[in-house]
Amino acid sequence: MGQKDDIYQNFQLRPMKCELNFLSRSDGSAILSQGETVVTVSVNGPLDIKTTSQSIEKATLEILFSSKGGKPSVADRFKENVIRQTCETAILGCLYPRTGITITIQELEDYGGLLSCAINCACLALLNSGISLHHVVAAVSCIVDETGNIVLEPEYQQVQSAATKLYFVFDSRDKNLVTGFTEGAVGEDMYLEALEKCRAASDLVFNFYRDVVTKYSNVI
Amino acid sequence: MKASIGDVVLPGDYCEEITVAGEKAKVIIGPGLRRELDRVYVTKAGVLKKRNPCTYWVDSYQKRYVPSRGENVIGVVVQKAGDIFRVDVGGSITAALSYLSFEGATKKNRPEVQIGDIVYAKMLVASKDMEPELVCVDSHGKKGRLGVLSDGFLFKCSLNLVRKILNPSCPLLESLKNEWPFEMAAGMNGRIWIKANSMRETIALGNAILGAEYQSDEEIKVICSNIASILAGHIS
Repeated sequence: MGQKDDIYQNFQLRPMKCELNFLSRSDGSAILSQGETVVTVSVNGPLDIKTTSQSIEKATLEILFSSKGGKPSVADRFKENVIRQTCETAILGCLYPRTGITITIQELEDYGGLLSCAINCACLALLNSGISLHHVVAAVSCIVDETGNIVLEPEYQQVQSAATKLYFVFDSRDKNLVTGFTEGAVGEDMYLEALEKCRAASDLVFNFYRDVVTKYSNVI
Repeated sequence: MKASIGDVVLPGDYCEEITVAGEKAKVIIGPGLRRELDRVYVTKAGVLKKRNPCTYWVDSYQKRYVPSRGENVIGVVVQKAGDIFRVDVGGSITAALSYLSFEGATKKNRPEVQIGDIVYAKMLVASKDMEPELVCVDSHGKKGRLGVLSDGFLFKCSLNLVRKILNPSCPLLESLKNEWPFEMAAGMNGRIWIKANSMRETIALGNAILGAEYQSDEEIKVICSNIASILAGHIS
């Protein structure tokens, strides 16, 4: 373990800033900036939905992703799908059968790592909404640069020039991989190394969640 | 992660203390906690609390109401359907209120409830698989403080605020009740109904309640005395 710790001790993520309850009318909301990437998320639910989309054993999750331009695209649908599957593992939907939970994500600024920022922000909004969760999730992104180094939470220029981008989402219970996907080609060894690095870095995100909750817990 | 009483907890944390206590005596686990196999897991973000002897819960922030049995709530009548009134309490579906569950109501003598009326009622049935059911009488058939609320002003707030002002140790109502006369009903579903003698007093009361949300006990006392002095100045 000692050697492993040495490898991972000097990583850091881009600075994260967050405000909970950012929107006054929604049940839960959050705005999160990771570096220069900014996303806001609102959560509404559990709500009544139409009978055709109700499920008798769990809550139906609906994700709406709107990009900065506002024009819907296939890439946005793909992001919605990834975020829905991630959130479905986290939410204890069995406690709210025949209801719907709507998560609306608005991209404000994209300077790389938009998807991981959106997932982290959605998780914070869910914490704020008071919906029962199985665990919290933390998303970490990284790239492999030309020289074969792994860069966690890269800057904008690095993202633009990178051949391979990797995104990983971990749960808080056992740090298991919840979601993982890649853009570009990557070797198996490199993939596993990136996975372990991101897994270690997810601790920073979980600690950040705890700090955010600690700040408001004292006054409620 | 392991958590103990008084800690800030996140969903997925577990508390060994509760499991150990559960081996010796009966334990009550409240909102925000859930038993899975042999461990007790946290499901909401907040502070883990304990009340002796063996009651545990998580104090969390929430705005959306999820019905729970035995709570007093404020709802708006949205539909009359034969024998029942449908009441919007802020949950995912409307709650049912039978016209027979009012004091002195019989099949011949129906209570006078119109669509749009505000009712203060108790949750009789609240389960995730069933429609919630309300009553406006206690088990002796008396109405007590429950029933239709006439006039006054209704506003919404977070569920925490209602719990906070209803806490016996909260100084808000203690300091306000000496300043001017008013009536108030607080529903656990995040709705508060207030009624005072004038419009100005009603607004002042509403502002005092909403302003107390993120304040400490000392600050609440200051807010209350400020509002009271402003109000007194304008009236005289």
